[in-house]
Amino acid sequence: MSRNASPRLTACLLICAASWVGGGAARAADYEVVIHHAELEETGIKPKVGDTITFINHAEISHNLYLTYEDGRMETLDTQIPNSTKKAVLHTAGRVVIRCWIHPIIRLEMTVADAS
Amino acid sequence: MENGVVRRRRRLTASLLLVAAVSLAATAGSLARIAGVETGGLAGSPAIELLKARFRRPDAVPFPKANPHSPGKEDLGRTLFFDPRLSRSGSVSCASCHNPSLGWSDGLARAVGFEMKPLARRTPPIMNLAWGSAFQWDGRAESLEHQARMPLTAPDEMNMTMEMVIERLVAIPGYRALFAQAFERPDAITAESVTAALATYQRTLVSGRAPFDRWVAGEESALGPDAKRGFALFTGKARCASCHSTWRLTDDSFHDIGLTGDDPGRGTFAPPSVVTMQRAFKTPSLRDLRLQGPYMHDGSVRTLDDVIEHYVKGGAKRPSLSPEMRPIALSADERHDLIAFLSSLKAEPIRVELPQLP
Ligand code: HEC
Ligand code: HEC
Ligand SMILES: [Cu+2]
Ligand SMILES: [Cu+2]
Repeated sequence: MSRNASPRLTACLLICAASWVGGGAARAADYEVVIHHAELEETGIKPKVGDTITFINHAEISHNLYLTYEDGRMETLDTQIPNSTKKAVLHTAGRVVIRCWIHPIIRLEMTVADAS
Repeated sequence: MENGVVRRRRRLTASLLLVAAVSLAATAGSLARIAGVETGGLAGSPAIELLKARFRRPDAVPFPKANPHSPGKEDLGRTLFFDPRLSRSGSVSCASCHNPSLGWSDGLARAVGFEMKPLARRTPPIMNLAWGSAFQWDGRAESLEHQARMPLTAPDEMNMTMEMVIERLVAIPGYRALFAQAFERPDAITAESVTAALATYQRTLVSGRAPFDRWVAGEESALGPDAKRGFALFTGKARCASCHSTWRLTDDSFHDIGLTGDDPGRGTFAPPSVVTMQRAFKTPSLRDLRLQGPYMHDGSVRTLDDVIEHYVKGGAKRPSLSPEMRPIALSADERHDLIAFLSSLKAEPIRVELPQLP
């Protein structure tokens, strides 16, 4: 077995296919993030304070996501059974890390811009 | 309406991906049936190849960018791992509990710590952790670097402070050169370099090729018919692979499988609203499983037969019990086949070079 650094293998779940669902430049926007049972993928979304993220569970297993803001504050969403959705309103600017209590391999980071 | 169009297209991509990457929980069983592994037929069919691919070994060990591998760091990490002077009493090394002769564990139901105090949990083996995403039975450590501080500083384990560790190491002349070589700078004896070296050494501990790996790679005769039937049960009817998935046979995730005992596990720090994390523990890898036991986070299950019996019953019914836990019916032959499969995950032990301590 070689000792080369290789891209981190993710085994369990994929958060991908974020889409922007309307709203003008100044209004709050809505993003959708789909959870799959596969790998983690960067969504590239650039939300701002006041925007909503809707998490859609397309996997066959339950998830329980939580958001950690840069100031350390945490927000835990409810347990999300297959095919259900949960929403989070982004309330603080800065880096936000989204993870799952059940599956720590799920990890999505984004930067939330100021509301203006 | 442009947004609507974009949205629909993206959702379409998402569902296509879903088809390609549906969960093991749902597909493995049906794949096993399609492939006919239950009857041992259709070897080499596309469906069985797909199922095997989910368990194929990776080619290379991943090292994080922040702590890349180097031979010097690996050597230093090995030396530290076996050095009892890293403990307050000077008598306990990492290897005292993670003993390579006992499958990198201690063979005990629960670990024995500082001044022979029994600890709350069993010592887990430390193989194949380079691929891990959360460490300790409850996942409270984010990385191996982060984890390494915990046993060093836990009062009931090695009972040190990181300052005392550094003081001890600085006082041992041979270590200065080892650290300088590993980190390519003088004065490299710091808490960060101690944990970086320990993590690097542990990432090099990878299970050897087991009969199961040779079968996955195409050597049909590497497994007997009972182990092949056991694999079909494992990924099918018995649904073990809904948690014991990937080549390491773990989803690296947390479940309450309904054991007795009142350790809150991940519930210690997950909010109470996350009911399924109460009494949830990390799914252990099943590679190189010690067939003589004991098993589980508290060593409470003595034999492999008892483990299977637990899954047949389905575990204690309570709100935190994983939805993946359901009673299953297994005949005596099927239990035998499952154990034959688990045995096929055992490789020759890796060769360990014992360090000469400075
Ligand atoms: C007194 C026995 C003991 C000693 C000494 C000890 N460990 Fe452990 N180790 C344990 C136990 C028990 C656990 C499980 C603790 C828990 O989950 O709360 C553990 C867990 C671990 C894990 C997590 C494994 C996993 O699958 O998540 C790693 C890694 C580890 N130890 C490495 C080390 C290193 C490195 C050292 C030396 C610096 C060390 N241990 C010293 C008993 C010990
Ligand atoms: C719901 C997820 C889940 C399912 C399904 C599952 N396991 Fe487990 N398994 C776990 C977890 C979590 C543990 C550790 C539990 C603990 O210590 O509290 C475990 C522990 C074990 C152990 C003990 C390993 C050790 O090192 O102590 C064995 C063996 C095992 N499982 C085999 C199986 C088999 C065989 C099946 C199918 C019949 C199965 N598991 C189904 C999650 C699961
Ligand atoms: Cu999850
Ligand atoms: Cu997707």
